[in-house]
Amino acid sequence: MSKRHLIGAAAALVLAVSPARAEDPIVIGVPVGLSGANSVVAPSVVQSAELAVEEINAKGGVLGRQLKLEVADDASGAAGAQKAFDSLIYQKKVDVLISMETSAARNAGLPAVTKGRTPYIYTSFYEGRSCNKNLFVNAWVPEQQVPPVVDAFAKEKGAKTYFLIGSDYAFGRGMLAFTRQYIEKTGGKIVGEEYLPMDGSDWTAIISKLKEAKPDALITSTAGGAPNVTLTKQLRGAGVSLPYANLAVDEGTAKSMGADAEGIYLSASYVTGVDSAENKAFLAAMEKKFGAGLKTPNDLSVPQYEAIYLYKAAVEKAGGTETAKVLEALPTVSFIGPRGTISMNKQHHAPLTMYLGQVQGDGSVKVISAFKDVDPGEQCPKLK
Amino acid sequence: MLLILDVLTTAAILFVTSIGLLAIFGVLKIINFAHGAWITIGAYCAVVAAKLGLNPWAAAPLAFVVGAALGGLAELFIIRPLYRRPLDAILATWGLGIVIGQLITLGFGRDVQFTPNLLPGAVQLLGVDYSAYRLVALGAALVIGAAFAFTIEGTRLGLSARAVIMNEALARGLGIDTARVRFVTFMIGAGLASLAGVLLTPLASVDPNMGVGWLIGAFMLVMVSNASFLALAAACLVFGAAQVLISAFVSPIFGSIAIAVLAAVTLRISPKGFSRA
Amino acid sequence: MPEDASAIGLSGSAERGRPRLSRAAPFVVAALAAAALWAAPLVLDAFAVNVLTRSMIYATLAVTVDLLWGFTGILTFGQAAFFGVGAYATAMALSYLGATPEWMAVALALAVVAPAALGLAVGWLSFYHRSTALYASVISLVLPIVVTQLIYSGGEWTGSSSGLVGFEVLPLELEGFFRLSAFALVAATLAAWVFVRSDAGRALVAVRDNDARCAYLGLSPKRLQIALTAALAGVAGLAGFIFANASSVVAPENAGFLFGTELVIWVALGGRGTLLGPVLGTVAIDYLAANLSGDLPFLWQLLLGATFVAVIILLPGGLAEIARRVWSALPIGRSAGFTPRLVARSSRPAADGAGAPLLTIEGLAKSYGSLTVLENIDLEVRAGELVSLVGPNGAGKTTLMRCLSDGTEPFKGAVSIGGVSTAGLTPNRIVALGVGRKFQVASVFESLTVADCLLLARASHDGLSPIGRAETIGLPQAALNVLRMTGLDRMLAEPARLLSHGQKQALELAMVVALEPRLILLDEPTAGLTKAERTTIGAALKALTGELGVAAVLVEHDLDFVREISSRIVVLHQGRLALDGTVEEVVGSELVRTIYSGAAHG
Repeated sequence: MSKRHLIGAAAALVLAVSPARAEDPIVIGVPVGLSGANSVVAPSVVQSAELAVEEINAKGGVLGRQLKLEVADDASGAAGAQKAFDSLIYQKKVDVLISMETSAARNAGLPAVTKGRTPYIYTSFYEGRSCNKNLFVNAWVPEQQVPPVVDAFAKEKGAKTYFLIGSDYAFGRGMLAFTRQYIEKTGGKIVGEEYLPMDGSDWTAIISKLKEAKPDALITSTAGGAPNVTLTKQLRGAGVSLPYANLAVDEGTAKSMGADAEGIYLSASYVTGVDSAENKAFLAAMEKKFGAGLKTPNDLSVPQYEAIYLYKAAVEKAGGTETAKVLEALPTVSFIGPRGTISMNKQHHAPLTMYLGQVQGDGSVKVISAFKDVDPGEQCPKLK
Repeated sequence: MLLILDVLTTAAILFVTSIGLLAIFGVLKIINFAHGAWITIGAYCAVVAAKLGLNPWAAAPLAFVVGAALGGLAELFIIRPLYRRPLDAILATWGLGIVIGQLITLGFGRDVQFTPNLLPGAVQLLGVDYSAYRLVALGAALVIGAAFAFTIEGTRLGLSARAVIMNEALARGLGIDTARVRFVTFMIGAGLASLAGVLLTPLASVDPNMGVGWLIGAFMLVMVSNASFLALAAACLVFGAAQVLISAFVSPIFGSIAIAVLAAVTLRISPKGFSRA
Repeated sequence: MPEDASAIGLSGSAERGRPRLSRAAPFVVAALAAAALWAAPLVLDAFAVNVLTRSMIYATLAVTVDLLWGFTGILTFGQAAFFGVGAYATAMALSYLGATPEWMAVALALAVVAPAALGLAVGWLSFYHRSTALYASVISLVLPIVVTQLIYSGGEWTGSSSGLVGFEVLPLELEGFFRLSAFALVAATLAAWVFVRSDAGRALVAVRDNDARCAYLGLSPKRLQIALTAALAGVAGLAGFIFANASSVVAPENAGFLFGTELVIWVALGGRGTLLGPVLGTVAIDYLAANLSGDLPFLWQLLLGATFVAVIILLPGGLAEIARRVWSALPIGRSAGFTPRLVARSSRPAADGAGAPLLTIEGLAKSYGSLTVLENIDLEVRAGELVSLVGPNGAGKTTLMRCLSDGTEPFKGAVSIGGVSTAGLTPNRIVALGVGRKFQVASVFESLTVADCLLLARASHDGLSPIGRAETIGLPQAALNVLRMTGLDRMLAEPARLLSHGQKQALELAMVVALEPRLILLDEPTAGLTKAERTTIGAALKALTGELGVAAVLVEHDLDFVREISSRIVVLHQGRLALDGTVEEVVGSELVRTIYSGAAHG
């Protein structure tokens, strides 16, 4: 612990015992898709952020300052994100932005982040290679998610030929491009790769092609929500019963899809069944805080929780919220959360433990195997 | 073989989703841009029916009744003042669609809803495994088409409706209560849209915006059909086939915009579209 | 050539000052607005500056939507697509070429030219002879869907769903971009304002009111619509250029159908057809959205949607309508509009009547399906003749008139005007051959004044100024006579919709005469007129044919009227030409007595 850090901690102690003299709170901006495509998952993200802030404030805050959340709706898109980022950065004058968003919303916000010189921790898995000196990511990229699935299919199912189906957007294309590359590198063969527009919902022709290609396994990466649900429904309706990995399905969706989802493989950095003390404590705290209103924690909401702790650690190390110092500290700190030890030390991205799961008849996800500290690969070689 | 079944069932689904819009456009000469919202209402009727523990098929008549009732209200308060402003009616119904979407969001949440499958699994047909439900959809389209044809050709309402389609002023002169014909037609059109919503549930995701995607396709099909029922069936077959074939042999991405683009070009070449055939 | 000495009309010398004053008004308002917006960043916080920068860019788009929809009647959802194309052209040029001043200029050029070219293609697709307003809306709906899809499938090249970000932009600060978009908005609004108040601006309203009449005045409404679509696509592209620079990011939704509908909603709420309404409406709603939608995402949409429906039904003029009503209730709000004076101009020398017939019809036949309406019609009309076409209802008179004035009408046989075949020619090109047509039901521009209707009638000869208003309208003496005889010359500032039935008929006749046609086609010009009005119109027609050598074909039921003015009478019976002869020959004939003694006409 550095000398400055010690002084900071001492100051925090002094401030904590004399609340009347407490400084202004540290404001965390959370632009998130309360409406639009992300609105299904957004409430769970806000809940986990609220828990993190409550826990930290209960223990005296950060450097003696309380944390405060400012949530803004980005409507899950670019135009809404511009408004949300402007409002948070210029009107609410937040110290940091921590959020799960669509790629379009993230990109739309980046210019404001750069101009406003605000640190930004992005907590959603995405297609990778978004590089900005203010941007840090603590969720997975294709390099981390795909290998467990392909390795399992090759080893357990003896799969040699694969069919890929995706939505025509950056994430779908990015995921499947990497999947193709990885399958070909490991000796497999792609017998078909098909895309439907992001809002498309009629998969008829693609499913017929899939049936004709007769692959050993199917891997899909669609947009979340409607396209994913329609594809799964229509696959089941057409009687497709191949080994099927869905790169876009999460535990909650799988659960509500019921029988249609049974047997689907998924790969994630978080499932509720992770067997660790931190996860159990986290789940219990969530349950206690939100009770019946609890939105099931998931692979998007847990990184949000951890990111707030990572920011706390960085501010404590930097001795304040000054952007340059926080950005310097962010890649060096780590936090042990529900997903294990998280540190954004690889070109602003984080090595993660990945879980391969399979949806059971009752909608729960059974963890089949875990892959420790999977590296995100070369995401931003120009950033250290 | 698979291709032929795909074409037939795709055409059937297109037909089911656009027949309600056609009925309204034919008689009222107004494009109901809230058509998508009524499809959504129908699908949510299936959600409610499932919550009430009803048989999944019971949702179909329920949706028709609910859709028609709400359609009646919309006709009275929104459509009626705009008969003489058809372009404004497009806008007002679009606004109405936004309002309905937001109300559904407030009531049910933004999430995708799940409904019990009307008929799961696949069947062996002519040597291929085919989705059983798509075949049911084909049958449903035939039933709805036949019922529609019967209403138009065999009932008093159908006769009045045909008279209004041909010459509204003359029909009024002959003592037909044209306002009532339009009112009832709008209710039927809205009811059919809601019924389509139920029939879509096994194929589509049920969420507050689900209808918008179907609206554009239905709209374009109705435009090329120029208010003719048989032309709509022909248009569904031709454009459904185009969509399936382009998806199969070129790219599903082009396939998905095939209907809109081909319909626009068809109208440019032959403004009456398929109704000339 | 105008002769000021013979000026008639109401504008006395006391009124002369007004036009100049009101012509300066837009520039004064624009200068004030520009100055206020220049200073605004000094007092606004960074948030307001940022949000308003975008709002003003959207408002520039709203101006283009208003010109298309509010003024010209083209309901469009496609401006979003042109905006998106401009924004993407900019973003892609700056990403892949660089942001040096030279490449910036290239990006700017691309951002304007690419949407304008696309606009030209869309215009060609949307507007053709007999195209409908609904069809143009359909195309404008398909366009953003296709453009968005292309952006999605562009992969890394367009950034697909994530859009493009991180390109270098114009070296301006927040305030600089605010001022740039403010300048663009003021300039676009001013240009639009000057344009819609100009003579050419009348043409937009004329196309909206009655595009058939436009065509029969020799104007090409379709060409105007195509040109307007292309030009405003270019303006939308320019807005896209500024947007891409100001926000340093572009996304597919900037080109999307939903954004297109939002633009229409803003314009409708602000008040279509008022320019300032849409501008203020857009800025206000977008600014409000930035402040409110974060807190109440769903409720905001609900409120906006409900307000939109209510405004469309109850207040089609939008919020500007309320402002206008309040303003015109105030004493200072009432001011007479600008009215040009009428002057006489020497007529074109009459076509030399010698020899060749002006109108030749050979073997004309027309049928609808199995129903034959016209059969085997042969007719020649020479300069100076006034040929009346009589016959019972359903004899095919109006159909014949339509075949004469529209070469795209499917019929058999041949029609030629002055030796030129009309086959395939649209009405406006037939008008250019020297044909004027008056419809059975008076066809004028309902929302324009009498003076403006006359102005448009002269547009194919004299052109229309896109920036100012002509002080005078030069009309041939024959048209002036019609106006004077019917008293319309004292009602120049009156909107045409307020005229009586007879006055509308007279106005239309004056408009057609103002075209200085060689051949004039008149479909029941006296229907529903008083005896005095009939006499007036008869005299005008006699003067036209007798003194100026114009040929006229007249459809008429009133045999007394026909007998009085015709030089020849043609009887059409059951689709055939039954008789063709002098007044005495025809009026005295057995056939005519049979037809007219029966209850043949009503």
